[in-house]
Amino acid sequence: MSSVLMDLSSAMASAVESTAAHVVRVEGRRGVPGTGILWSADGVIVTANHVVRRDDRLQVGLPDGREIEATLVGRDPTTDVAVLRASAAGLAVPTWQAIETARVGHLVLALGRPGRTVQATLGVISALGQEWRTPEGGVVDRYLQTDVVMYPGFSGGPLLSPAGGLLGLNSSGLSRGVSLTIPAITLQRVVPMLLEHGRVRRGYLGIGAQPVRLPEDVVSQLGQETGVLLMSVEPGGPAAKAGMALGDTLVSLEGAPIRHMDDVLAALGGDRIGSTLAARILRGGALQEMRVTVGERG
Amino acid sequence: MAAPGFLAAVQGDLVAVAEGARAGLVQVRDGVQGAGSGTIWEDEGLIVTNAHVARHRHVEVLLPGGRRSIAHVLSVDPHRDLAVLRVEAHGSPGLVPGSSRNLRPGELVMAVGHPWGVEGGTTFGAVIGVGADLPENPAPGRELIAVSLQLRPGHSGGPLVDVQGRLVGICAMMAGPEVGLAIPVEVVRDFLQDWLPGSQARVA
Repeated sequence: MSSVLMDLSSAMASAVESTAAHVVRVEGRRGVPGTGILWSADGVIVTANHVVRRDDRLQVGLPDGREIEATLVGRDPTTDVAVLRASAAGLAVPTWQAIETARVGHLVLALGRPGRTVQATLGVISALGQEWRTPEGGVVDRYLQTDVVMYPGFSGGPLLSPAGGLLGLNSSGLSRGVSLTIPAITLQRVVPMLLEHGRVRRGYLGIGAQPVRLPEDVVSQLGQETGVLLMSVEPGGPAAKAGMALGDTLVSLEGAPIRHMDDVLAALGGDRIGSTLAARILRGGALQEMRVTVGERG
Repeated sequence: MAAPGFLAAVQGDLVAVAEGARAGLVQVRDGVQGAGSGTIWEDEGLIVTNAHVARHRHVEVLLPGGRRSIAHVLSVDPHRDLAVLRVEAHGSPGLVPGSSRNLRPGELVMAVGHPWGVEGGTTFGAVIGVGADLPENPAPGRELIAVSLQLRPGHSGGPLVDVQGRLVGICAMMAGPEVGLAIPVEVVRDFLQDWLPGSQARVA
C-alpha cells in the first residue's frame, strides 16, 4: 500500500484544522445552532440568514472558545445571507478563493461549528453555472452545487477548496435537498451593502405581472417573443404614477428587453432606486414610451 | 499534473484498506431479522457487534473464510448497544486497534458490512466529528463517531477503519441517509473490561 491515501486524508484533516480559526458558532435560533465565518478582524461575521431566527440575544462562539454577544447588522433573505457584529478584535480572517478556480469533480469540505468543535463533511463539486436567481428573487453570481452533507448546524459555514481558500458560504436554506454554496464574489457584494444599509436595497415598481406572448407584428418589430402583462398596479406606486395601467404589457426598461419577471427584477437593482427609466409598453396594440421613477422596496 | 497516476494510487490504497477491513468482518444472523455484521476482536474467538444485532443466546456467524459457526452471546449492553460473542476459533487475527479520539474532522474512514444483505459492502467518507456533543445525537452524552458515509441496515456491528486499516469504531446506526454513527473503539474496550473481568480480552 502506498501512502497517498494517508497523505490525502491527513491533508484534508489539516485543512479543516487550519480553517477552524475562521469558523464560529452562531446562536440565533432554538435547537441546533448555526455556523458563521469571520469576515473582518474586528468582529464582523457572515452567516446564513435562516439560522438567525431572532433579531436580538444573539451569541457567537469564537474559535478560541470564548462565547460573546453579537448584534444583527442586517439580513438579505433573498440570498440567505446575514451579517452580525461581535465586539472582538484581532480575529483571524480567512482567504477567499475565486470561484474561477473551482472545477466540477473537485474535492471540497464543508465545515460547521454547531457545537464546541469544528466538524467537517466531504464531497465533490457537482455543478458550476452562471448567475442565477434564488426562489426569493436574490441574485447569486455563480451557481455552485456540491454533494457535501449539510449536517445539522452546517448552514452559514464555509466550503473549503482543495487550494485551501474558502469558496463561499454553504446554505441548505436556498433550495430543499440540494447543497448550495453562495460564492465569495456574491458575499463580497452583499456583505458591504448589509454593513452600509442593513439590507440589500432593491428597486420597486409596484406591479404584479406575468409573461405573455406578444403579437406577431410586435415580435418582428422588437425581436423578442414575450413581454410581461400587468396583472396589478399598486395605486400611487411608481408604475401608477408613470401612467401604467392594468392590462398594459411591459416590453422594455431603459432599453433592456423585458421578457419575463426575472428581467424586471434584474432591471431593479439597488443602484436604480430614485432614477427615472425609459419604459416601453404595449397598450391597445400600440407601443408607447413612459418614464418611470424607481421606488425602493420596503 | 500526474493526476491519473495519483488517482490510481488512491484507488489502490482504498482497495487495500477495504480488503483489510473485510478480513475483520463477519456476518451475524440471529434468526429474527436480516443479517447484521460483526467485527473480529483482536482476541482469539471474540466477535463484537451491536446489541440490536445479537438478540438471542446463540447466533449464527459467517466467518471471513466462508465457514459458518454458532456463536455464544457472552454479554449484551443495550445502553452502549454492544454485544460480545465467542466462537471456537475465527481463524483471523482481527483488526489492529486504532484510536477514535485521535480522529480529526475531515479525515477519511471506511466502513464494511452487509448493507441490505450485500456481503462485504464498502462505503467511505470523512469524519464529521467525534465526541458526545454531536448534533442529533440520539443518545445525548454518549460518545460517538459521526461519519459522512452511507450506513444501511446490515452495516450494524461491522468495523469502521481509518486509512491505515486500524479499527476505530463499530458501525451502529444512521442519522439520516448520508450520516452514519459508530461506537468508538475505546467504548468497546470499556465494555469488554466491564463485562469480561479477568477474561482473555486484552484491554490495552
